[in-house]
Amino acid sequence: MTSTIDELRKTARQLLTDGKVDVVIGYEKGSLPLKATPCFVRSPQDVDKLIWDETCENNLAAFVAKTSGKKAIIAKGCDSRALMVLLQENQLAREDLYIIGVSCQGVIDQRKIETETGEIIAASLADGKISVQGIECDKVFSFTEVKDITCQTCRYPNPVLEDVHIGGSIEVTEQATAFADVIDMENKSDSERKAYFKEQMSKCIRCYACRNVCPLCYCQECFVDCNSPKWLTGGVDSAENLMFQTGRALHLAGRCVECGACSRACPQGVDIRALSRKVNKDVKEMYNHESGLTEEVKPALNVYSADDPEAFLVKE
Amino acid sequence: MKISKEKFGQSFDALAAEYQVIAPVSDAGSVSFKAVKKFSEVKQDYLNSKLPPKSFFFPQHEKLLSYKKEGKEVTVKNELKVEKTILFGIRPCDAKGFLLLDKVFKNDQYTDPYYFERRDNTIIVGVACNKIAPTCFCSSLGLSPASSVGSDIFLIDLGDSYQIEAISDNGKFLLGGFEGLEELSNEDQTLVDTIQSAETTSKVDVSTITAKLDKMFDSPYWDTLHEKCLSCNACSFSCPTCHCFDISEEVLKNEGSRVRTWDGCMAPLFTLHGSGHNPRDQKKSRWRQRMLHKFNYFVHNNGDIACVGCGRCIKNCPVNLDIRQAIDGVNKAELVVD
Amino acid sequence: MSMGESLVNTETKAFQPKIVAFLCNWCSYAGADLAGVGRFQYPATIRTIRVPCSGRINPLYILKAMANGADGVLISGCHPGDCHYMSGNYVARRKFALIDSLLKHVGLEEGRVSFSWVSAAEGVRFAEVVKGVTERVTALGPNKGVFKVEEGGGTND
Repeated sequence: MTSTIDELRKTARQLLTDGKVDVVIGYEKGSLPLKATPCFVRSPQDVDKLIWDETCENNLAAFVAKTSGKKAIIAKGCDSRALMVLLQENQLAREDLYIIGVSCQGVIDQRKIETETGEIIAASLADGKISVQGIECDKVFSFTEVKDITCQTCRYPNPVLEDVHIGGSIEVTEQATAFADVIDMENKSDSERKAYFKEQMSKCIRCYACRNVCPLCYCQECFVDCNSPKWLTGGVDSAENLMFQTGRALHLAGRCVECGACSRACPQGVDIRALSRKVNKDVKEMYNHESGLTEEVKPALNVYSADDPEAFLVKE
Repeated sequence: MKISKEKFGQSFDALAAEYQVIAPVSDAGSVSFKAVKKFSEVKQDYLNSKLPPKSFFFPQHEKLLSYKKEGKEVTVKNELKVEKTILFGIRPCDAKGFLLLDKVFKNDQYTDPYYFERRDNTIIVGVACNKIAPTCFCSSLGLSPASSVGSDIFLIDLGDSYQIEAISDNGKFLLGGFEGLEELSNEDQTLVDTIQSAETTSKVDVSTITAKLDKMFDSPYWDTLHEKCLSCNACSFSCPTCHCFDISEEVLKNEGSRVRTWDGCMAPLFTLHGSGHNPRDQKKSRWRQRMLHKFNYFVHNNGDIACVGCGRCIKNCPVNLDIRQAIDGVNKAELVVD
Repeated sequence: MSMGESLVNTETKAFQPKIVAFLCNWCSYAGADLAGVGRFQYPATIRTIRVPCSGRINPLYILKAMANGADGVLISGCHPGDCHYMSGNYVARRKFALIDSLLKHVGLEEGRVSFSWVSAAEGVRFAEVVKGVTERVTALGPNKGVFKVEEGGGTND
């Protein structure tokens, strides 16, 4: 990956020197081991801060609309899909955006590591191996062992929209069964699913990290903040939390690009993806749509067809 | 004095029959404070809970009172229900956090009954930290991993026994019921000395931060600090000293309740006025507020920094906006000369 | 004039569900009106909310109705192709399919939330739809389910 980083920094330096952009939005090393953090580089001297590796877990598309001026953004596959949807929804002007595309191997799930080693004191990444010194024990992991769950079934590691591509491309292996995790959940009984979601929702503390980290949650007034009508009372029991999460999942129907940032952002480890994955599976099966792939295909709930399925109707 | 964990467990179980006992338990890969009935349920080897224990005095969502209108009659009911409680396994940082919250909920004009009714009916059993995480920095804030400040009884884990000490009158009262107290051996004492002299490895310098911040309201430092912040409330909800709340009425037809819910100053609508004006609608002003409140205003108003170095905000922030780096940044910021 | 047999029985205290019915103004609401004018009997369990078009339905209406204690929700619009606003119900059709599927997925009982297309001429059919929905919701019992919120907002303790 070293040459990719050099290329990346070179490109960023050139863009800033030439004045093509005012800011490069990328990643720099975080203050915690195995954690990258978003950074906003404004001068060519600072481009050496930029990094690109398996710790780059944030979806930077969330920052683009709020950053003024012309901006370059380092976009992995899922991030570029988010940018595509934002462009389709007129939230961004294409001419203000310079997309530096990088193909993504996936990101590390630190929580998976911490369940075995305790809090991470130090770690290093090299050749697909992660050596961790933890507060409970030390261990060496292979990257595949601790890859984020979203990345394990990622089908779009290569950016779908970019102005320049850095590094190579990644070949996607077709999965045996698409949405296997959702099918697994669907096959459970109603009461098992109800119990699962109730348990997950009882962990939620309504900090809204999931909503804020999502590039596609950009409403000026989110329904949770609305006072008239007042949708949520502010109670944090599982019923209210489920209403928030289900409402959000439905508002993202046909738009969610499955970057997994929501689940990673959650401080409580709530399985937020479970809801959006189900909606995305439905959108794919019923309307043959996946969000943010091409500009011509409009978001699924903006269009319709005369033969859309209507299995949900009452039988009378 | 020391007590074997076995004997301690027996007294613990007996107390659990009389008091509501809250202790750290294993919870989906991390640790949470929950009600327990037996000492065997308590997680022994832990760093700290994911969320701070402030919710036991200051719940995230509580009904203050409820009311019902029947014809011309309105009945109002106080919804405060308090049980006598023992909070076990509280770390020095969280115990100090309670002392800081006390200053918020009591002033010369008003004492919050909801907070203090719970507080006054709770005995805090603190436990020293034998392990220090890389995100802990309590020593830089005048605390230490073995500080008994804020605890009623303080324990130091010696392996199969605890060093046990009563710190307050409540603690002395509770300790009176414990059996099997014995003297510490020389070995025990050495271990205690080691634990008591431990310091957190991560360091920040807050010695001049309050004075510096007095002059920094218009500093350009705030222009870039906030950029990666998402304006969620993960940090505020994770913080043992954050205490902002909202009070609202939840009414359906003829009955309802007045509820108090946690709020957080990082949220964009926190300062939205009824008029529509929002004095802190920019992330820049919100992050400036966070730093000023914790390291300057709280010092001026209450005499202490409103941070205990527990590190939860650092671990829980989705974009790794590290308050230690913010403190360093403030210390290094050039002062703009008028 | 006698109201005919009513399923509201105040003596036996059988469970009478509260069903919120969102009806589009041009078709379903008119259909309900026709049922009334024609005296086609149906259980008095629905509380009607008139919306201009089924496309107006925000998934939150359904969730909030249940959070506030509704035992069931019925959403009804024009038949596809007949929408007064041309495409409102086509857009709604996609939303409803996704809402229905997700609600089942999180454990909401089948039959609590129902969708139908009822035209302004289908007074009899509207009565049938309400009878069917009432039967199914009654069989499910009162809503103590995934979205029911206790008054004042609950806590997890």
